[in-house]
Amino acid sequence: MKNFRLLIADCGLTAVAVSVLAMIFGFAHPASAMLTAKANHDHITIDFFYHGSTVSVKGEAEPGTDLVIKITSPEGHQVLKRKGKVAGMLWMNVGQLTFEQTPDFYEVFSTKKLEDILSREEMEKYVIGYPALAKHVEITPVANEEEKAKWFEEFVKFKEDSHVYAASAGKIATTMNAGGRQEYYILTDWPYQAQPGDYLVTVYAVKDHKVVEQAEARVNVEQVGVVKALAGMAKSSPAVYGFLSIGVALGAGFGVSMVFRKGGGAH
Amino acid sequence: MYLYLPVALTSISILIPVGLGLAVGLLSGLFGVGGGFLLTPLLIMFGIPSTVAAATDSNQIVAASTSGTYAHWKVGNVDFKMGLYLLLGGFIGGIVGVQAIKLLHAMGNADFVIKITYILMLGIVGVYMFIESLQSMRKKKNAGEEVAKEERESAVGRFLKSLPFQTRFEKSGITHSVFVPIVLGGFVGVLAAIMGVGGGFLMVPIMVYMLRMPMHVVVGTSLFQILFTCIEVTFLQAYTNHSVDFILAVLLLLGSTVGAQVGAVFGRKLKAEQLKILLAGIVLAVTVKIVFEVTLAPSLLLSQVGGH
Repeated sequence: MKNFRLLIADCGLTAVAVSVLAMIFGFAHPASAMLTAKANHDHITIDFFYHGSTVSVKGEAEPGTDLVIKITSPEGHQVLKRKGKVAGMLWMNVGQLTFEQTPDFYEVFSTKKLEDILSREEMEKYVIGYPALAKHVEITPVANEEEKAKWFEEFVKFKEDSHVYAASAGKIATTMNAGGRQEYYILTDWPYQAQPGDYLVTVYAVKDHKVVEQAEARVNVEQVGVVKALAGMAKSSPAVYGFLSIGVALGAGFGVSMVFRKGGGAH
Repeated sequence: MYLYLPVALTSISILIPVGLGLAVGLLSGLFGVGGGFLLTPLLIMFGIPSTVAAATDSNQIVAASTSGTYAHWKVGNVDFKMGLYLLLGGFIGGIVGVQAIKLLHAMGNADFVIKITYILMLGIVGVYMFIESLQSMRKKKNAGEEVAKEERESAVGRFLKSLPFQTRFEKSGITHSVFVPIVLGGFVGVLAAIMGVGGGFLMVPIMVYMLRMPMHVVVGTSLFQILFTCIEVTFLQAYTNHSVDFILAVLLLLGSTVGAQVGAVFGRKLKAEQLKILLAGIVLAVTVKIVFEVTLAPSLLLSQVGGH
């Protein structure tokens, strides 16, 4: 695999932070770079009026390579309720399924259809695309592979419904620049459903059905201000939070009653 | 305008919770129900996790029922003595119900029992109230038939009168043994805990048909009782599950406190039969919705753990 360098820049970040990050990744993957990447909005802040954001990734790649961009949250353990038929006709929750080695967030973008540019082995090796993720994820309890495939499909449906899983081809734009290098660019919506935490952006350069280069960047999503204070308080001082919630509700109930009494609307 | 909800971890247009709050508050003031059986599923539909939806709903009911209780108390429609006995029963019933749920979970068929209990309870209450209020509307026109009903009641009445510790409930104008509201409150408490709802839609018909309280006092007293139940539930949810979303609760209560006042005013203009038949209609509509929910194939077969 060839060496490459990754550059990250953020409109919101200071130039110092940008160069520090670029240096870190620069040292990790020294000189003679063919693939570069530049991500903006790599620090998303969730404030009171947050309704999602956008993330763009751009850079240069060797001419003739296809590109795959994967954005994931760290893998973990998820438990979900499973619906099934009871007495042949009633849909109810009939148990739970545990998903291991599963990211809460998984988005894959590619210049062309994944199966046209990557071999099955490569997809599985780098966990690129739903079929590869299906193989990687462990689901319990399932009786056989067929059942596992069925529940993985349902899992993807559930995640896509909350906009935290996505897979699409053709969203990455590519052009040739004056230096004879291939430039790529993607702008994607960042869903408000994506929870606070660190996200990994991996860019893969693909040639002859194989990954020839890869680069990593990070997107950090963090709560700030009132949102952070309230979320923290709900967890760290639940009793105070509970009393506060009840107090405000009682106050509001009495307050509105007073307003109505003064207005004479109740009689 | 959108606001981010720090505990639900999602963003919502403020018009949705304020509008939903207003509608549910109106029902609360009108009928003396908390409206959890309506609001919680609606919140889930708008992307709020089920545990947060249920917990936050009880928080906003604290506000709506304070507002509603106040409005009804002002015109003398809250029977505090009856409310306290029902609360005592409800508290004991709640403890029993929580243990019952634990047992059901251990047996592995909790969801089935919960859903069936829900459908049966809503269905029976809805159908009974609907038929009864239709009949009493007709009887108003045909006063002669009233005699037969009075005779049938006297059998149950004699049994209730034979119980010890008879006490007078001045506000409702009735006399009962103290055990009657405690046992009935306990029954609602058990079912409410099993179904994960406040139980207003069960308490109202019980007060009307079994305690034979006047409809307008029922609404005020039910709200008084719900207020205390929901304070307890909100605290427990915040303390043990960290599932109360303060911002969502505030948005909901902005609508529901006003709705409860409007409902209380509007309710006084309606006759008892009209109130009962309207509530029966809503309960039946919810029953039909749940029946569809369990019989039609769902679009998603997986859901978050917690809630229904």
